Amino acid sequence: METQAPITPGRRGPRAGTPQRPRIGIVKFASCDGCQLTLLDLEDELLAIAARVDLVEFAEATSHRSAGPFDVLFVEGSISTPEQAEDIARLRAVSHRLVTIGACATAGGIQAIRNWFDHEEVRAVVYPQPGYVDSLAQARPVADFVAVDAELRGCPISPAQLREFLVALVTGRRPQLPDEAVCLECKRRGVVCVAVAQGIPCLGPVTRTGCGALCPAYGRGCYGCFGPRESANTASLAKWLSDDRSASDVGRLFAGFTAWSPPFRAMIDAHGGPPGQVIPVKETNDA
Amino acid sequence: MPAAYFLPRAELDRLFEALAVDGRRIIGPTIADGAVVYDELDSPAGLPHGWMADTAPGSYRLRSTGGERAFDYVVALTSWKRFTHPSLVPLTRSRRDGDQIVVEPIREDAPKLAFVGVRACELAALNIQERAMRAGPAGDPDHAARRDAALIVAVECAAATSTCFCTSMASGPEVDGGADLMLSELDDGFVVRVGSEAGAGVVGPLGLRVASPDAVDRAGTQVAAVRAAIGDPVPGDGLPERLRAALDHPHWAQVAERCLACANCTLVCPTCFCTSVGVASDLDGLDATTERSWDSCFSLGFGRVAGDANFRPKVRDRYRQWLTHKFSTWWDQFGSSGCVGCGRCIAWCPVGIDVRAELVAIAPATAPAGPIPWPLSPAEGRAPAALATAAPARHVIATVRSVMPETVDSATLRLVTTDEALLGARPGQFVMVEQPAFATPPISISRIRPDGLDLTIRSAGAATAVLTGLAAGAQVALRGPLGRGWPVEAAIGRDVVIVAGGIGLAPLRPVIEAVLAERPRFGAVRLYLGARTPHDRLFVAEMGEIAGRADVEVAEIVDRAGPEWLGRVGIVTQLFDQAKWDGSRATAFVCGPERMMQATVATLKGRGVDPAAMWLTLERNMACGVGTCGHCQLGPFFVCRDGPVFSVAELGTAFAREGL
Repeated sequence: METQAPITPGRRGPRAGTPQRPRIGIVKFASCDGCQLTLLDLEDELLAIAARVDLVEFAEATSHRSAGPFDVLFVEGSISTPEQAEDIARLRAVSHRLVTIGACATAGGIQAIRNWFDHEEVRAVVYPQPGYVDSLAQARPVADFVAVDAELRGCPISPAQLREFLVALVTGRRPQLPDEAVCLECKRRGVVCVAVAQGIPCLGPVTRTGCGALCPAYGRGCYGCFGPRESANTASLAKWLSDDRSASDVGRLFAGFTAWSPPFRAMIDAHGGPPGQVIPVKETNDA
Repeated sequence: MPAAYFLPRAELDRLFEALAVDGRRIIGPTIADGAVVYDELDSPAGLPHGWMADTAPGSYRLRSTGGERAFDYVVALTSWKRFTHPSLVPLTRSRRDGDQIVVEPIREDAPKLAFVGVRACELAALNIQERAMRAGPAGDPDHAARRDAALIVAVECAAATSTCFCTSMASGPEVDGGADLMLSELDDGFVVRVGSEAGAGVVGPLGLRVASPDAVDRAGTQVAAVRAAIGDPVPGDGLPERLRAALDHPHWAQVAERCLACANCTLVCPTCFCTSVGVASDLDGLDATTERSWDSCFSLGFGRVAGDANFRPKVRDRYRQWLTHKFSTWWDQFGSSGCVGCGRCIAWCPVGIDVRAELVAIAPATAPAGPIPWPLSPAEGRAPAALATAAPARHVIATVRSVMPETVDSATLRLVTTDEALLGARPGQFVMVEQPAFATPPISISRIRPDGLDLTIRSAGAATAVLTGLAAGAQVALRGPLGRGWPVEAAIGRDVVIVAGGIGLAPLRPVIEAVLAERPRFGAVRLYLGARTPHDRLFVAEMGEIAGRADVEVAEIVDRAGPEWLGRVGIVTQLFDQAKWDGSRATAFVCGPERMMQATVATLKGRGVDPAAMWLTLERNMACGVGTCGHCQLGPFFVCRDGPVFSVAELGTAFAREGL
């Protein structure tokens, strides 16, 4: 595994707008745009939010572009190309606060699965003429490149958490973004534990809450899209799951949208790497 | 009234109809998503007829018995606390209009419910949780209303599963009263015993026949078989004392390797009551609500305090907190065990940790009983006298008369109020300070005036930043005074030693003022003041004035300073570690960062000060202020309710113990 790029010192940009009307930008790197679209999902309050912030950069909603400075810059996507690595360093310098949003920006995203494979081989399989494509050997989270002030997790992020963050920003309070396990939300909702009652493997105990226990509420195991919670004891969960499934099945559970996060990555490594070959074979989807 | 009636199986719906009069809704067992849960039932048809639950550590599977019985399943996933202590309860609604604020409690009407199928262990759990929720100065009104509105139909167990251990916890399986109605299920029907007037009112109109001696016998035989099947897996005699001796057992670290700290055990536990308070607001922070939700000592955030310090950073610490609370310090707090042996924490642990096995490993029956680490337990009459004045749900709006900047990050708010309880505050007490849309921090009172209170606040987070930024005319909502204050009267006729570190001088200033107000009644008075830098010193002019008095000794020191500082540089204990005074005649009052207090206590002991005469005020995450949220627990103590002022002797080895 290659050594990490040096972290640009968290040189924080100056304050740009007034505290009452902060200048906000939303930019993206390697990602699907789903997280930034979550802002548009705040339909009922979207106009009211727009009146309280100065949204100067948001390509999904306005063609107006800004080079900064930003009071808060929301960053979606993983850093996957040399150009992106340069851009994020430049953006950090003009952003007072930099907030990563979504599994790609905070953990590397699903594309980080390629980090386990030979870079040249992946390029050759994906692109007919890889010579036109300039990419880094690994798709990595933004925090591997610059200092990050806050994270909104998820794939995609939760509208409720985004709202909470924005309200906290404009009212000057600390956002309440719990770092506890999904299990707490399951139990508060009264959802029957799918792991204990049905033997369905579930990453809820090691995954950060914020989704509202969405998957278990529909009878599915959590697949960890919010990434590891605080004190994620993935080793113990993996050991328990290993009792009645193969090592590769256990490793595969952690190889999802936040596979590259250290606690999940360690389990993938300990169980023989991520599934499949360079291009994972599409398996029967019985969900 | 006969000892027991008989309700034929086919007539169970008549009982349901009788329970449902007056709009009472019936909550009982039913099957959802592969488990028995408690939910609203329209008729007995929704009961899990013919289903048994096979449980094991980390596993729960329903199995068809092929029979007709409705209550073979033992206990459901959910406990009844979902209905008496719901997972989300709104607390307050607040509004801001310019300087004016309004904060009012939200009161929801408690629904009239009948709980059908409450087991012996669950009855015990309802009572245990009720004791905890009613233990505060005024009790928790929401819990009390819900509990009082519930009618309880208990069902004696006819089967046990592998995770049951009520026999060891002396909570079952027999139901010996404590419910409105008590049922024993037989193949042909139910033996019904009446436990209250309300219960008699339900079965009276049904015209049931008296149960035959044979039916009563069969019911007795059945439950005796359950007791025999369970055995005594965790010998409970002396368990609280054995656990006290095992606080440093190496096994805590071993179980922490397996423990996911996922909190499932605490949330399925029928007695765990801990909660956290969240704030929601409109975009401008003008309209806000607070609500409390179930929380757990297993989450990292639970032990967090302002400034992101954490008292239980390790999973080992959190597991120890849970287990020792449940089986040991619960006795100190509420006079009973906190465990009823229902086995939920075993079955619903995602990695199958079996609390019975952990208890046997950490505190086996052969282990010695530990010395009581905290010599005076709260249950033994240490309840703070001042609490009687506080109605915890009552918010008093106070107005800021002036704001005095103290240091670069702290300020004193001079508040005006006519509230008698607040004006009657004692030195060392604190208030919860609420602002619409912000967290509610506990703030100690830095001066008690005839017309109000001074609060000296350090900006350590968003809520305290807003408070220190308020201007004259602004309003805040106060709850209090709370907690036990400094026992100033205990120092009468003795020397007084006051040691303050930084902002720790704020809660000590009322002590200084009380002592100086009646100076002749005390012996020598010595003030030792420490601060990080000269710029972090509090009340500089006042302290300078006191230093000018001939009858008070004042010494100051700072951790670090530039050349402009002509005073001493070092830690506060250097001010008196070489002193000549006789500590045996002194009463000491200490407040500052925890490490500073540890060093101070050690030095004062060296000077001969009696630990029982050494008082300090502890910082913990005091979120409710009245001992119901559970955040501020330290061993057997709720710091908010039993403290925050403690003597070093009271705290015993709970003081300065890592991770407690």
